[in-house]
Amino acid sequence: MNPAIFISVSVLLGILFGLQEWFSLRHLGYHVDSRIFLESWGFQFFLWGTVSWLLWRLFASQVQRASLVTILTLFLPLSILVSAAEEMIWVLAFPSLPLNHPGLPYWNRLSIYLYEELLNNVVVFWCAFFLFLGLGYYQRFREHERAAAQLEIQLANARIAALRMQLNPHFLFNTMNSISSLMRSDINAADSMLEQLSCLMRITLERGQAQLIPLRDEMEFIELYLAMQAQRYAGRVQQALHFDPELYDALVPAMLLQPIVENAYVHGLSKVEADGRLSIDVRKKGEQVRVSVVNSGQGLKLHEPQSSNGHGVGLANVRSRLKLHYGEHSSLSIEERERKQVEVTILLPLQFQQESSTTVARPGELWSAR
Amino acid sequence: MVRTVIADDEVLARLKLRQLLRDELDVEIVGECATAAETIQVVSSTSPDLLFLDIRMPDMDGFDVVGALSSHPNLVLPQIVFTTAYDQYAVRAFEIHAIDYLLKPFACERLRSAIQRVRDQMAVAGPKGNGIHEDSASHPYTTRLVFKSRGRILFLSVEDIRWIGAEENYVRICTGGESHLLRETIGHIETRLDPKMFLRVHRSAIVNLRYVKEVKSENDGDATVLLTGGEKIAMSRSYRSRVQRLIHT
Repeated sequence: MNPAIFISVSVLLGILFGLQEWFSLRHLGYHVDSRIFLESWGFQFFLWGTVSWLLWRLFASQVQRASLVTILTLFLPLSILVSAAEEMIWVLAFPSLPLNHPGLPYWNRLSIYLYEELLNNVVVFWCAFFLFLGLGYYQRFREHERAAAQLEIQLANARIAALRMQLNPHFLFNTMNSISSLMRSDINAADSMLEQLSCLMRITLERGQAQLIPLRDEMEFIELYLAMQAQRYAGRVQQALHFDPELYDALVPAMLLQPIVENAYVHGLSKVEADGRLSIDVRKKGEQVRVSVVNSGQGLKLHEPQSSNGHGVGLANVRSRLKLHYGEHSSLSIEERERKQVEVTILLPLQFQQESSTTVARPGELWSAR
Repeated sequence: MVRTVIADDEVLARLKLRQLLRDELDVEIVGECATAAETIQVVSSTSPDLLFLDIRMPDMDGFDVVGALSSHPNLVLPQIVFTTAYDQYAVRAFEIHAIDYLLKPFACERLRSAIQRVRDQMAVAGPKGNGIHEDSASHPYTTRLVFKSRGRILFLSVEDIRWIGAEENYVRICTGGESHLLRETIGHIETRLDPKMFLRVHRSAIVNLRYVKEVKSENDGDATVLLTGGEKIAMSRSYRSRVQRLIHT
């Protein structure tokens, strides 16, 4: 801490004491010059400010870790020594004091003041001592709190990462199974699905550990995923996408849409023979992002328990990640609309990426032109 | 005929190209190489029109091969299509005028579009040699864009762009069947495109004149541009005079 803080605070305190003594003397009928009070008290507390600063500078850690033994063997003698020394300097600086006995020799004046003020001085010393002790406790408390908060964030991130990792293999093996099956019937379709899967993998690997990504990147992923699904469901499902361009740079959790779209296919669209509909709509709603995925199909079969029809797995994953990222500021709901359509709606807070200064070209950026 | 050499250290990768190219009747495979040294030798002796080149090969990398070939006297460099599993060399490949960059594994459509590009280039520059060098020097405008979209590297010729739409901080580049989002401003893109080929018809749209079928007037003085693919693009009054000038001359 800055020595100016110690000194200015204590000098201010000294001046207040000085003024108080001067006022009380005036009240008793004495008329004396106020200057000597302000000077002597001010100087006395200037010395104390310096002493406390030195105590902080030199002994802060000992003060904060002080055991009874160090208090008795180090600080008790130190307090008496410092109090006496402070008094000696002060008496030297004001030869005109005490006012009622001017002109006394130094040692006489010193003994008067030591007798009067040594105990006070020791008390001042211990006040500073306990103040520093308290400050130390407070600082450590704050540090603990900060560390705990950080730990919580790390824990949440680890959970999110684990949840996200859960999605990749699931999705990967499903697609590989489709390719394996296509290989027997349509070699070109298998080939192109393999290419699309590689593209998806490339995008996923590039993202690395990023948990929140611009909507634009999530769009790219879901467009590829939908292209693959379109191939699998050859003409049976009509896809309609709308993403508000204003939100292209808004941050959303990575792999937000894929589990929901997969769900829409597995539990809805795969059950219809023709004319299936899937629509994804992402738009701004006040200070929130509203994501809506609607699919036609069988509607919600609410009488079935969640676990047996698997409706919950992908959605539960998204739900827990939303909660870990945004706490209560996000929501996910699933409901049946008219004509057996199911709508999943997600609301999450609108956030934008801090403008990054990286020079590395990202997907969707022009790398070069000629 | 497109005389072609395939260079890849993996036999299955060569086999795949050989099989897929069987459907391209005008492509004749004149050599197959497994190492960089072999590639240099085969290309110098056969002087093909097209070289499929893997980047990571055991002895040297693909760029070293190109370096060695271009310093070779009396050899016209073939058109180069890189085939690789790595995307980080794309810009370098673009800079040495490669015609395309195929990320493995690629499907046959992607290969087909690369071959088509080679044919187009050969038609422009004559049967021998890649004419891109001369082209780019005399031209102040962009002829090709390289970017990554949906996990693929695209070396997109601007002729293939039908129209470009602005979407906030992005532009959507629309080609025949696809569209790609790029983080660019439409104003910036406009300055780099040849005004003889592209026209700004709206604050948020540029069209390729080659694909304009019709301009239809609306009642309020604005108009709609119809493209050959059926797309309708709004044209604002302020840009309209520019279009009419172009269309009537």
